[in-house]
Amino acid sequence: MSYTVDRRGFLRTAGAGAAALGLGGALASCSSEESSTVTLTWWDYFTLDNFQPGMNRLIKDIEQGVPDVRIERRTFPFAELDRQITLGAISGDLPDIAIVDNVAMNTLAGSDLLADLTDRVEEWGQADQYYKGPWEGCQVGGKTLGIPNNSNCLALYYNTRMLESAGVRPPTTWDELASAAQRLTSGDRFGLALSAIKTEEGVFQFLPFLWQAGGDLDTFATYGATALSFLDDLIAKGSLSEQCVGWTQQDVNTRFLNQRAAMQINGPWQIPTLKSADFDWDVVALPRDRAAATCLGGENWVVTAKSKHVDKAWEVLEYTQRPSVLVPYLVSFGELPSRKDLADEGTWASDPALRLFLSQLPLARPRRYGPHYADISQTVAEAEQAVLTGSVSASAAAQTAAVKIDKALAAQ
Amino acid sequence: MRPRSGTQPSAHRRRAGYLFCLPGTAFLALFLAYPLFYNAWTSVHDVKLGQLLGGGGPFNGLDNYRVVVDDPAFWHSVRLSLVFTLGSLAFQFTIGFALALLFARPFPLNGLLRSLLLVAWLLPPVVSGTLFRWLLDAESGAYNALLRAVGPDSLSHDWLTDPSTALAGVVLANIWVGVPFNMLLLLVGLHTIDPELHEAAAIDGAGPWQRFRRITLPLMRPVSVTVLLLGLIYTFKVFDIVFVMTGGGPVDATRVLSLYVYEVFFKFFRFGQGAAAGLLLLVVPLLTGVIYVRRLRREEAAGGAV
Repeated sequence: MSYTVDRRGFLRTAGAGAAALGLGGALASCSSEESSTVTLTWWDYFTLDNFQPGMNRLIKDIEQGVPDVRIERRTFPFAELDRQITLGAISGDLPDIAIVDNVAMNTLAGSDLLADLTDRVEEWGQADQYYKGPWEGCQVGGKTLGIPNNSNCLALYYNTRMLESAGVRPPTTWDELASAAQRLTSGDRFGLALSAIKTEEGVFQFLPFLWQAGGDLDTFATYGATALSFLDDLIAKGSLSEQCVGWTQQDVNTRFLNQRAAMQINGPWQIPTLKSADFDWDVVALPRDRAAATCLGGENWVVTAKSKHVDKAWEVLEYTQRPSVLVPYLVSFGELPSRKDLADEGTWASDPALRLFLSQLPLARPRRYGPHYADISQTVAEAEQAVLTGSVSASAAAQTAAVKIDKALAAQ
Repeated sequence: MRPRSGTQPSAHRRRAGYLFCLPGTAFLALFLAYPLFYNAWTSVHDVKLGQLLGGGGPFNGLDNYRVVVDDPAFWHSVRLSLVFTLGSLAFQFTIGFALALLFARPFPLNGLLRSLLLVAWLLPPVVSGTLFRWLLDAESGAYNALLRAVGPDSLSHDWLTDPSTALAGVVLANIWVGVPFNMLLLLVGLHTIDPELHEAAAIDGAGPWQRFRRITLPLMRPVSVTVLLLGLIYTFKVFDIVFVMTGGGPVDATRVLSLYVYEVFFKFFRFGQGAAAGLLLLVVPLLTGVIYVRRLRREEAAGGAV
């Protein structure tokens, strides 16, 4: 895709180049145009190389499309962004705009760090264009504290040839998943790979099992035990590697790419990488037990409460939600739109894998469990690790965890 | 007339002396005293995320400390920290000592090998941590490949994802990082021993083992104590290498005290309790530091070299 460089864009690029050469001061003093330009600081955690072209184009687009705005972007590693926001809260150095993990809304919401966008969003009037889960993730205490940036959820990828040669059909229930995983396990190849690492990534992958079992965090003693013992059985039968307690979702995808796992649970952001695989793969909905369920992931745009340019920042957010801006950006990221009206645009209309993920979005559940979710998440992760490494039985781990979870859910 | 050294300096010189101390004092005040004070303040207040900016949060006395001390996870991490520190020190020191003895005698390539060993110490902990995570990986790790090559398959082991061996794996990496530091200081110490002592003992008929036990070891005592004290101060607060290798897991098998503080602070946003636990983390290195400084002063007074 090409875009024309207008005079302002040219001047700005030239200006940036000059500044880099140490001429910035001299040039700025004779430029009258810069005086009314607002510089907005912007933080996100999209550090990987494959995100950069799309992000750079988006920022250039914003600087050209929104009058008198300049974006100063900083990136942090995924796990570092929350910490930087915490440190920023201490030092008073917070960005105007940030793209945060949707699960971070749990902790950020009660902190008074985010600007209330309720009135602006009402005036804008496009709230009903968004999928319910992502949109509700931005509503806290009757206020709108953000706009969904993109969404994702989990599904089951499988290696087509491996399933065919083993005579296995893509599983749709837990029983089928367990037997398929067992039949696909051979030599140094595991039937199934998933992430059970002791971070939110692992919990993101575990929660669907809890929901599929028919429960939720407030019934963890019962349904947590069901979910945990299902996974424990997979390990006991050798269909799932015990090492999954140390795997990130990236590691899981690497196992699948190296054909050392016949099936994997992962998100749509792996599709661009998987397209280069030299084998055929496909993707189906996560197998169900009592209920079908998957976990909602993705990011939200937020504006910080202390920003001096909330109006300008909102103008930027509104601009990014135009289909002409949003579609190429999300496509380049391999992410799904949070807007229903975009479901039939771009690659989402044609790519079958993306369509499958998109079809799961209405089922995808957000992790909205209040300000103490971090404690809950850690408790769930540790329970899962304790069971999968064989230190505790599933029911004992679920009992212990349930006590802590109930306490965290009750504390507001 | 010049003032004689050792007597009262002139007012001018004294002023100059204070002036020279100023940058150091300012640096310590800004980067050590202020954060320490702020941390102590936070540890007796109930601080929420929104209140970090511009202070605030009600005073709650010793409540934060009470919560921390009542938390079994805190004591678990204290035990892990002690095992981690003592395990690391024991091996770092003995291996470091053995290498120092080796490098104290001249042999070809001595200098080159010594500088190669130092690389381990110069590498950022994040790099060493990542390196060892690869080495110890059950499927593709070099250690397990080696074990499988020399013995039965059952020898290879999933070090870092098994709660009963994860701490050992992390200690192993930390030993590797710490050996060169120990070796270097101990080597300097060995060079201060007068070779004539060894020669005289050899003439009197003392064998190598006797010379080592009766001459080297006693004379190395002050250096050894210093090396161990410094090692204790550094090792007790190690964070990065553990964080990179296991993130404190599996479950809580490697959640040493520094990781506990990190989790309370940056994961659960319980700032008051994090600050309290942070101050408690300081106790062991601080006590060790005091012992170290007092020893140093005593030895300087006695005119001995450290």
